[in-house]
Amino acid sequence: MTHPYDVAVLGAGPAGMAAATEAARRGAKVVLLEESPAPGGQVYRAAPPGFVVPPDADRRAGDALRAALAASGAELRLGHRVWGLGGGPLVRQGEAPVPFRIDALPPDGEPVTLEARALVLCAGTHERIIPFPGWTLPGVIGLAAATILLKAQGVLPGRRVVVAGAGPLLYAVAAKLLKAGSEVAAIADLATRGEWARAMPALLARPDLLARGLAWRAALATNGVPVLQAHAVIAAEGVGAVERVRVQPISGGAAESFDCDALCIGHGLVPATEATRVFRAAHRYARESGGWVPVLDADRRVSVPLLYVAGDGGGVRGAAAAPAAGRLAALAALRDLGVLDGRAHARARRRPALEQWRAAQAGQAMARMMALRPALVDAIAPETVVCRCEGVTRAEIETALDDGATEMNQLKQFTRCGMGPCQGRLCGEAAAELVARRVGGRERAGFATGRLPLRPVPMEAVLGEFDYADIPVPAPAPL
Amino acid sequence: MDARAARTILSVVRASMRIAGVERPTEVAFSFAGQELRAPVGESLAAALIVAGVRRLGEGPGSPRAAFCMMGTCQQCLLRVDGRLAQACITPVRAGMVVTEA
Repeated sequence: MTHPYDVAVLGAGPAGMAAATEAARRGAKVVLLEESPAPGGQVYRAAPPGFVVPPDADRRAGDALRAALAASGAELRLGHRVWGLGGGPLVRQGEAPVPFRIDALPPDGEPVTLEARALVLCAGTHERIIPFPGWTLPGVIGLAAATILLKAQGVLPGRRVVVAGAGPLLYAVAAKLLKAGSEVAAIADLATRGEWARAMPALLARPDLLARGLAWRAALATNGVPVLQAHAVIAAEGVGAVERVRVQPISGGAAESFDCDALCIGHGLVPATEATRVFRAAHRYARESGGWVPVLDADRRVSVPLLYVAGDGGGVRGAAAAPAAGRLAALAALRDLGVLDGRAHARARRRPALEQWRAAQAGQAMARMMALRPALVDAIAPETVVCRCEGVTRAEIETALDDGATEMNQLKQFTRCGMGPCQGRLCGEAAAELVARRVGGRERAGFATGRLPLRPVPMEAVLGEFDYADIPVPAPAPL
Repeated sequence: MDARAARTILSVVRASMRIAGVERPTEVAFSFAGQELRAPVGESLAAALIVAGVRRLGEGPGSPRAAFCMMGTCQQCLLRVDGRLAQACITPVRAGMVVTEA
C-alpha cells in the first residue's frame, strides 16, 4: 500500500474541482476521483475529447475551474468508478486510527485501492422522476439527460419534443432545444405563475442567472412555444416509443395531447447520499433541499470525523454555490488535519463562506421549486411500474405495506423494489413517498441502508487478486 | 427509388440529429446487434444509438429498456460491449466495438 493521501475528493463537479484545487494549492497531497472521462460534473460537463462545442456561460465557468484544478497539483483520476468506501478515524487498528479506504475500478479494469486521511464527498445529485403511465417508453428521458445529450454530445433527444416537470432546467432545456434546431411541442411546468413570482426576489441576488432565465423565456415566446403553467404529464403514449404526451392542469380539467418523438421530464434533484449512508453518518430529511441530506456544520463537516460533503450532495443549492462549498470543505479538512491553524483557517474561510451564502440564496429558491410534489405520487396508478429494474408496480408496493412493511428496508426485502442494478436511485423517491403515506412521514419511512458496492461492478473487481491458501481460517473451537 | 438513394436520404435525415456547429472527430464503424453503424469516435454509445434511430436497448421486467438518465445512474442502457456489460451512456464509441443486447 502506498503512502496515504492527505485528502481524497470524490466527484469532479464544481464542488469537487474547487475542493481539490484549494487543498492542493495549500500543499496537501490530494487525489480527485471522477467516474466520467473528464472533470466538470453535470452543469459544467465537458464534451468528449476531440469534440469542439461552441462555448456558453457554463462552459466558460467550467473551463475556469478545470484550469485552476490542472494548475493546482492535485492528482486527477478520471474514469474511476468508486464502488467501495471504508476505514476512517472511527475504525481503529490498535491505537492508531486507520485512514479512509477507497476502492475504485479504473478504465483499464484493474481495481485500485487508495487511502486518505480526510475524505471530501462531492457526489452531486440524481434526478427525481415520479412514475406515470408510459414513463418507461423509449424516447422518454430525464431533463438532466437532455442537457447532457445537447451540451456534451451535441445530439438532439428528438425532433419534436415535450419538456415537462419542475424547476429552471425546464426552460434551459427548451431554449437549448430550440437553438439546436428541435421543435418544442410544449412545456408543461408543474409550478404556478405565483410560485415563479415568489422566487424572483431570491433570484435578484444572482442577476446573471436571472437574465439568462428571462432570455430563455423570451426565446420560447418568440418561437410560439406553448408554456403551460401548473400542468402535469398524465401519460406518455405510443407503440414501441413515445408518440404523444397527455398533459392536464394540476387542478384537474381537460387534458391536452401533444404529438412528439421525445419527452424530457424531471421532477427535481435528489442529493446523492450513498457514501454518507455507508459511513452511517447522521442524516435529516429536508424536502426543500431535495430529500435526505447528511447533517452538516457551517464548514461542511459530517457527523463522522474527517468526512466532509460539498455541493448539491449536501442539499440542492446549484452549481453556482458549489465551488465555495468545496473550498470550505477543503479548508475544514486541512484545519482538522492540523495543516492550517485556527487563525489561518478563520481567515481563509471568510470569503468562500460569504460566496456560498450569497449563491445559495438563488439556489435555495430554485431548490424549493424542484422539491418533491406529493400530488404526483398520489396520482401514480396501481399498475404503473415504480421500480424499473425489478418491475415492481405501485399495487405490489401497497400490498407489501398491507402485509406489514413499515420502512424502506422492509419494502426492499418484501418486493425487491430498489434491489436492482440502479440500487434504488431511480425508484427510491417514489417508493419512499408511498411508504411515508402509510407510516406518517419520510422520517419514519427512512432510507435504504447504505451498502457496498456503491455502483455495480464486475465480481473480479470486488474479489481482487487472492489465493485460497491466504484466507485466514480461524482455529477450530476447542472441544 | 433504389436502396442506395434511400440510404443516402436516410443518413441525411439522421445526420440532422447531430447538432450543426459542433466539431467532431472522424467517424468509425462499430456494430450493434449485427448491424453496422458509424459514429464519431468518442461519442457516447447511447447518443450514437439515438442518432442511428435505435431507441429500445433491451427488455426489462415489464417494460422495454432505453437510455434514460445519460449519466451512469439508472442502468437502463446496459448493453454488452465486446462481451462485457457496459452502460451505453458512459461508454465512448471505439472503432470495431461489437455491441449486443445485455
